[in-house]
Amino acid sequence: MSHLIELSAVSKTFGTGADAVHAFGPVDLSIDDGEFFSLLGPSGCGKSTLLLMIGGLLEPSEGDITLAGRRVDGPQTDIGIMFQDNTLVPWRTVRGNVELQLEMRGMPPANHRDDVDALLRSVHLEDFSERFPYELSGGMQQRAAFCQAMVHGPRTMLLDEPLGKLDAMTREQIRTDLQNLWIQQRPTVAFVTHSIEEAIQLSNRVAVITPRPGTIEKIIPIDLPFPRDLDVKNSPEFTHYVRDTQEIFRSYGVI
Amino acid sequence: MASSEKISVLARLWAKLIHSWMFIAFFVGFFVFWEWSVVLFDIPRYILTPPTLVVEKGWADIDRLLYYTYVTGLETVTGYVIAIVLALPLGLAIAFSSILRRTIYPFIVCVEMVPKIAFAPLFISWLGFGLLPKVIIVFLVCFFPIVLNAILAFNSLSEELSQFSRSTGAGAMRTFFKIRLPAATPQCFVGFKYGAINATVGAAIAEFIGSDEGLGFYIQIVTGNMRPDLAFAGIFFLTILGLALFGCVTLAERLLIPWHISVRRQKT
Repeated sequence: MSHLIELSAVSKTFGTGADAVHAFGPVDLSIDDGEFFSLLGPSGCGKSTLLLMIGGLLEPSEGDITLAGRRVDGPQTDIGIMFQDNTLVPWRTVRGNVELQLEMRGMPPANHRDDVDALLRSVHLEDFSERFPYELSGGMQQRAAFCQAMVHGPRTMLLDEPLGKLDAMTREQIRTDLQNLWIQQRPTVAFVTHSIEEAIQLSNRVAVITPRPGTIEKIIPIDLPFPRDLDVKNSPEFTHYVRDTQEIFRSYGVI
Repeated sequence: MASSEKISVLARLWAKLIHSWMFIAFFVGFFVFWEWSVVLFDIPRYILTPPTLVVEKGWADIDRLLYYTYVTGLETVTGYVIAIVLALPLGLAIAFSSILRRTIYPFIVCVEMVPKIAFAPLFISWLGFGLLPKVIIVFLVCFFPIVLNAILAFNSLSEELSQFSRSTGAGAMRTFFKIRLPAATPQCFVGFKYGAINATVGAAIAEFIGSDEGLGFYIQIVTGNMRPDLAFAGIFFLTILGLALFGCVTLAERLLIPWHISVRRQKT
């Protein structure tokens, strides 16, 4: 299997001299093509920094990153990116926001009407396409943001705590939607979260990141069948993975 | 259909009236108090006149008042529009140029501290009694809030939207028109509104200092002639002028950024 995202000895230091903060690394990592890979760690461990570096939106201080065989040396465009605070703009409707991604890329939205419709349907937003973001709940907004991040069919998705601000019940629903989208389209996903359960439920592998400076403590392959519904989550194996991961964080005094 | 619509409009108006009855009662009470206190406390007419007399005497002098409203309005609108036309591009340039941010920007912040109106006598002595010095003074009092808010507007794109734009590979122009400009518009309107509030004040003071027409000139002359009734009439028209300008800006805001929270709050 070809490694789609590869990091070798990547680290990031902010500032210089006495004020320098060593935020992340050094880290070696390979994420496979079509893999759902979670970066799991406490706040401020540099997970988001790593994600921005993969997207070419932040330059690593040391080390090399390659995406689909090409060295990352500037903003990457074959990616879909999503943050905790979504990038929906308030002056466009849900559909308009999804089309913004296309328009920014010079792709005429008229040619992709069916794609947009299908995408909105898959996250149950077909009746809300002409609504503005402020008319939607937080969960619906994040669903719309997923569509915005995926409409151009990127091979790599960088998701930075996209469910971070949602309540527990909504999170649960949207995890399912996210998993279904991933199963349908199979992009490579780098997913940042600080929820152990979320990481285990969604991922092929989970990287456990230590507190600052963030390094990868352990990579845990999650050997459970997809789609991972409530039955899987209630299985002893799932509980086992959760407990193992908790142990690692406990040994660091994080929890 | 049409008649039922008319009824619902009337009903809504009536509901609004009922809703704000306290305000209306206070407003009416204020003028009744004013009217009666002049009689009650035996205040001489050359100090304060009752509102009914203001209306009566003002109506008698309506031609002059309307003409002077036009004169002051022209000064105000001209200065204000020039301020917007110059301040927006400058704000944009400062927001995007690190050189300008280190040169012109600190200078503008310093000048902002100076009470611009203090320059008024100088401009009048340099440029005489005509339209130009008033336009310049209106321009000065409007320019700074507009330019400072424009800089803020174009500098405050969220980190997320900026990363999103970069990840699309869009060029600077496309990013500007599709994201930066619409995102900056609400904050720009904050500046436009400050400017609109300052504009009539600037025009009136400039006229106080040296002019031979306009509402500021009128208020000063009639006050000198012990005619507070006409002074109040002048103040009334100056207020209308300020409200009209502010109303136009608010209307433009509603039309241009109906999606923005400040506009949505007004509607509900």
